[in-house]
Amino acid sequence: MGKLVVIDGGLFTTVQDAGRFGFRKYGVPVSGVMDNSAFELVNSLVGNSPETPVLEMTLKGGKYRFESDSVIALTGANMNPTVNGISVELNSSLDIKSGDILDFEYARRGCRCYLGVRGIWEIEKILGSYSTYNEGDFGGIEGRTLQKGDQLHWKEIQADFQSYTSSREEIPYYSSKLTVEFIPGPEWNWLSKKEQDKFLSTEFKISSESNRMGIRLNSDFQIEGKKREMVSSGVIPGIIQLPPNGSPIILMKDGQTVGGYPRIGKVLDIHLNRLAQVQPNGTIRFKKSD
Amino acid sequence: MESGSLHLNGISWSVFRLGETAWLLQPKVSENVLEHIHSASDLLERSKIDGLQDIIPAYDSITLIYDSQFKYDPGKISEISPSREPHLSREKNIFEINVCYELGMDWNEVEVKTGLSKEEVISIHSTQNYTLAMMGFMPGFIFLEGLDDRIAVSRKEKPRIKVPSGSVGIGGNQTGIYSLESPGGWQIIGRTTESFFDVKKTLPTKLKAGDRIRFKPISKEEFDKVVAKNG
Repeated sequence: MGKLVVIDGGLFTTVQDAGRFGFRKYGVPVSGVMDNSAFELVNSLVGNSPETPVLEMTLKGGKYRFESDSVIALTGANMNPTVNGISVELNSSLDIKSGDILDFEYARRGCRCYLGVRGIWEIEKILGSYSTYNEGDFGGIEGRTLQKGDQLHWKEIQADFQSYTSSREEIPYYSSKLTVEFIPGPEWNWLSKKEQDKFLSTEFKISSESNRMGIRLNSDFQIEGKKREMVSSGVIPGIIQLPPNGSPIILMKDGQTVGGYPRIGKVLDIHLNRLAQVQPNGTIRFKKSD
Repeated sequence: MESGSLHLNGISWSVFRLGETAWLLQPKVSENVLEHIHSASDLLERSKIDGLQDIIPAYDSITLIYDSQFKYDPGKISEISPSREPHLSREKNIFEINVCYELGMDWNEVEVKTGLSKEEVISIHSTQNYTLAMMGFMPGFIFLEGLDDRIAVSRKEKPRIKVPSGSVGIGGNQTGIYSLESPGGWQIIGRTTESFFDVKKTLPTKLKAGDRIRFKPISKEEFDKVVAKNG
């Protein structure tokens, strides 16, 4: 049996998987990893099946003690990971010995780091998923972020395993200046041509109030025309909502299931992965997808 | 932006693209909009369309979300209801839900804004039949349609950080129930002992969009008794 003990949970660390599907009609958000490409890579590096959960660490990763020999990998943000004080590589299978201490600092580049552990994790599924939905207090470990003293257990996989390191081309460069492409949403044409042009030429700053529910953006962008009301209607991660104050919110994985703000666009999923890696105070621009 | 239309359950629907794998359907009718939405959502659920992951019924739309491995095909959706006539006659569950109005937290504001006494508001609120319009924005939040205009009250200026689970509230011309403790800006006029949402169950709630709801006033003593019995 594999085991890990949390010495320090870091800033905001949760158990996540691909997400919780089929319950959005009851208001249950999809949850799951914010950066799907880093998630897929980390499970591949440890030879796990793609539905295995991982730890998603945000901005500052925490500290963990392994109580069994284990195979792990780290992908996503670079939080200067060390094992027993010695730097280790991201994007590579790593052998860990029982008693080893895995430690992280503040993210140097990127925002979210993923820890994959080879094995079959022993966590209760809630509504078909291991993902933590922090706002609703369910999923993962008691529906919350990891805390000192928490333990993770997993069944070891006996099959042969070939360690490997990702090729350079597979590893994205996480820039703090990002351009994301979007599909125009149902209410895109509520904006005048002038407002649309302004939206496309504005550089937005990511607010520190951003979280797993939504990325909040600040700028001098304003809606000039008459503000129209709409009734609540379905939304999904990636939807760009435009509240009357003109500060867009990009809904993320723990975002609500219905909303009443105009949906001016939907950020492409491949760009949502990159967006999840931009730290607060980073900037983004929008480009209309063809 | 509108990207076409399709035929479903005897009526025509506008289709809007919401994402790479998500579409929004809006019924092209001016009457019984909610009934058309609930009947069509039911039909879509029952038809088990390949790759259709989530269906979100709302006030004037149905959102369809597909697994990215699958392709949305409007023809496939039209195929599930070859009939030219809409079917709106699905069996509706009726639930009677107890409410202890004494546990309301915003009676002063509600009385001032409606110009009615607490007793008058309770009488109006508990004699109406409501339709469960939709669930969302939070797990198990229940939006009910059918509130009497006389007791419509605008939301609180400053939302509460914590509204207790089971709270019954009024927000504009809607009434609703907070199944789980959450932040919220509705005027709270009472609380029910009933629990509508349990994530530990395979089916987290017995309610669904389209169900009928009635409120039955209970005293604080009865409320406490039920709570004690339920442990």
